[in-house]
Amino acid sequence: MGAIMQTKPLHVNPLKLSQPMGATLAFLGVDGCMPLMHGAQGCASFTKVFFTRHFQDPIAIQTTAVTDITAVLDGGAKGIAEAVENITKKVNPALIGLFTTGLTETKGDDIKGAASGLSLPVVYVNTPDYEGALESGWALSVSAMITQLTTPTAQIQKGKVALLPHVGMSALELERLKECIASFGLSVVALPDISLSLDGHLGEKQTALSSGGTTVEEIKELGTCEAVITVGASMEGCAKALRAKNPAITPLHVSHLGGLVATDSFIAMLMSLSGNAPTPTLKRWRARLQDALLDTHEMVGGKNVALIGEPDEIVGYGALLQEAGAKLACVIGATSSTNLESLGGVVGDFEDLEHRMEGIDVVIGNFHAKAIAKRFGVPLVVRGFPSWGTVGGALNHSVLYEGGAQSLFRVANVCEKDH
Amino acid sequence: MQLADKSIDQTCAHVASKKPACSRPTPGATTGGCAFEGAQIALFPYADAAHLVHGPLTCLGASWETRETKTSVEGRDFTQMGFTTGMELNDVIFGGEPRLAKAIAYIVEAYAPEAVFVYTTCVSALVGDDVNATCKEAALTHGIPVVPVHAPGFVGSKNLGSRLGAMDVLKNLIGTKEPQFSTPYDINLIGEYNVTGDMWQYTALLEELGIRVLSTLSGDGRVAKIRTAHRAKLNVIVCAKSLNAVCERMEKEYGIPYISVSFYGKRDTSDALLQIAHALGDEALMERTKALVAREEALVEAKLLPFKTKLTGKKAVLNTGGNKSWSIASALQDLGVEVVGTSVRKATEEDKEKARKYLGENGVLMENPGAEQANLIKERGAHLLLAGGRSLYTAIKQRVAFVDVNQEKKVSYGAYNGLVNLAHDVIKAIENPVFDVVGRRAPWEQ
Repeated sequence: MGAIMQTKPLHVNPLKLSQPMGATLAFLGVDGCMPLMHGAQGCASFTKVFFTRHFQDPIAIQTTAVTDITAVLDGGAKGIAEAVENITKKVNPALIGLFTTGLTETKGDDIKGAASGLSLPVVYVNTPDYEGALESGWALSVSAMITQLTTPTAQIQKGKVALLPHVGMSALELERLKECIASFGLSVVALPDISLSLDGHLGEKQTALSSGGTTVEEIKELGTCEAVITVGASMEGCAKALRAKNPAITPLHVSHLGGLVATDSFIAMLMSLSGNAPTPTLKRWRARLQDALLDTHEMVGGKNVALIGEPDEIVGYGALLQEAGAKLACVIGATSSTNLESLGGVVGDFEDLEHRMEGIDVVIGNFHAKAIAKRFGVPLVVRGFPSWGTVGGALNHSVLYEGGAQSLFRVANVCEKDH
Repeated sequence: MQLADKSIDQTCAHVASKKPACSRPTPGATTGGCAFEGAQIALFPYADAAHLVHGPLTCLGASWETRETKTSVEGRDFTQMGFTTGMELNDVIFGGEPRLAKAIAYIVEAYAPEAVFVYTTCVSALVGDDVNATCKEAALTHGIPVVPVHAPGFVGSKNLGSRLGAMDVLKNLIGTKEPQFSTPYDINLIGEYNVTGDMWQYTALLEELGIRVLSTLSGDGRVAKIRTAHRAKLNVIVCAKSLNAVCERMEKEYGIPYISVSFYGKRDTSDALLQIAHALGDEALMERTKALVAREEALVEAKLLPFKTKLTGKKAVLNTGGNKSWSIASALQDLGVEVVGTSVRKATEEDKEKARKYLGENGVLMENPGAEQANLIKERGAHLLLAGGRSLYTAIKQRVAFVDVNQEKKVSYGAYNGLVNLAHDVIKAIENPVFDVVGRRAPWEQ
């Protein structure tokens, strides 16, 4: 991890989001799951409100509601059991995703022991918020789901692919990625799959659990995949958990899917894996992206871009903009990552962005970048967590050929507007 | 931790009743905020003070820049900034005090605030950081108040946190400075956070009456002013009943009486102004207030006339917290809307009584609005739901109009002018065809 670490004793206008929040999202990508945050009630409440405003959809989450008394007096097992009992009074979850916070890690609760005493399917994972960040909380939860649920096997189902996406992919991006893989005649299971659960659709009724997503059955059967595709530097380790279940699985990794070059490599990978050629639609979108790069290069080319967010999310965007000739003048990531390093970025917060705004033409970042963009009078493309105050985030699409074209148009149009 | 001496102030209005409203949260059946969030709500509106959260990232990372508490502070609005030590593993193992001291120094150097509030959180409280000592030393070093706020999330609910935060202000700031001059009409506004500028809807009226807002806790507040709050003649609790205890303590320590009012709706706004005038005990002021109330009511009635013809007969369900469970109900009734149900889940016994009074026999007081509100909308044929952001999708899925009346709202519904804004938003929601359109059956469902 070579990106320069933040040296300040504090975060001023923080960018980083915590591991328990990443775990929450990962469990929301499992069908019929109740994420259960083991901590004080506020941790879950803040997280619920945060994601409710971001996705503009109901967010299922519960808390073990640790108090000052239980923080000192017990090992957590009682509160966890009580929480599960109260949850099942109202709903019948297919899975409980149990994860810790800084509080319960500090007091040293044994969640593995607590989980083993429960009759429901439970996946437990340690996600203290004084370590790691959103990406690692998501990745740790994915690994835990595989380790604790997937059945070991030596069988391989030809043409079956496990897709492990990073936390920053939108619902539509994941859906398009699954379609792309399937268009090569492969069958694909994504874990987690928020393209079904957090895509902003209007459900028949409001449910207290996540609706849509990877099923527990699918997770159990994940060991039979021929290959596992990990997207994003944060996810590379997750393939190891799956290969521990079946060493015959071929690991395939892409650090991102932004822009023509990265998409070409990915398509080549799928061609080689499947032995099939791309569909005419895919070829058509490649031509459109080529055209879009040319159409937008005058508006985007030479622009000094500030990019701020989760490393795996911004790296693809950065690559795409660079292909159109933009300069990544300031790149700030929430956490250290080889992906951040590849962009020449640093770990920091919004104060760091503010100090580097000189000469910036366009800012790409989350809701909190609005105030800075406004103060400096530069256009803003809102993306990342949170995207409060903007709509349609779940349907933003910036990966593969099609998303690349749509995204370039979006940035170019924003740059052309008077601000 | 300085919690023990505060426990005596944790009395609530409902303490005499059998059912404690500030009961411990239930694992697996709780969605409310924590004590830290309560302290944040109560004190962050001091926009000239930096608010430093001493804990790991979740506490502030997920919650900064969320509340539309307006300020007239010129220069940087610290309420809309987030400062956190972002405790890491090393701080948990070796203690977070060195990082905290450095963080305070950084803030003072880079942003020159009038004061620094330091909030403990679950982790910093559990590892036992001596935040009091660090703050005391920092105050001496930097020459500004550095106030430790002890309301870590695990001690309880939002309400309790607001009270604990306010108590820390009382202990550390109130009475530490004298006002330049005093008037017989100096008041403090307690529990008014100026969300979307609610406070400014009526402060001009107070001024016109010759009543001076000496300080606030904490909407559009100033550190320098709250330090002089002990010289007020009256404390006016505008919202949070959780701050009753602070006013009780100020009455004991400084002899300041207090009253509790609401500035939502026409009737309550008028009542609030008259109560303040009455409490200040000046005949001439009372006469001026009566005249002003008559004038303002006539003005607002004229403005509301076109709205009321459209709204009379409409039915609403209200799901909000604390005193809003009755105060917004009252405002809606002022508009001719029938309120068929309101949430009292987070209300005190006193709030519940008021809600019952306003809603009458047939109104439903929902104890568990999450589960009840959808059915209530169906049963009573309600036309709209007024609630916080979290209920938005309940409303959409029930295909009824929705108005956000919690902190995410964008315009003020306070006092007379706010009532016009509320009427406008309610009409806009009810007249919007979107709820009918999204309710259509798909071609394949015909």
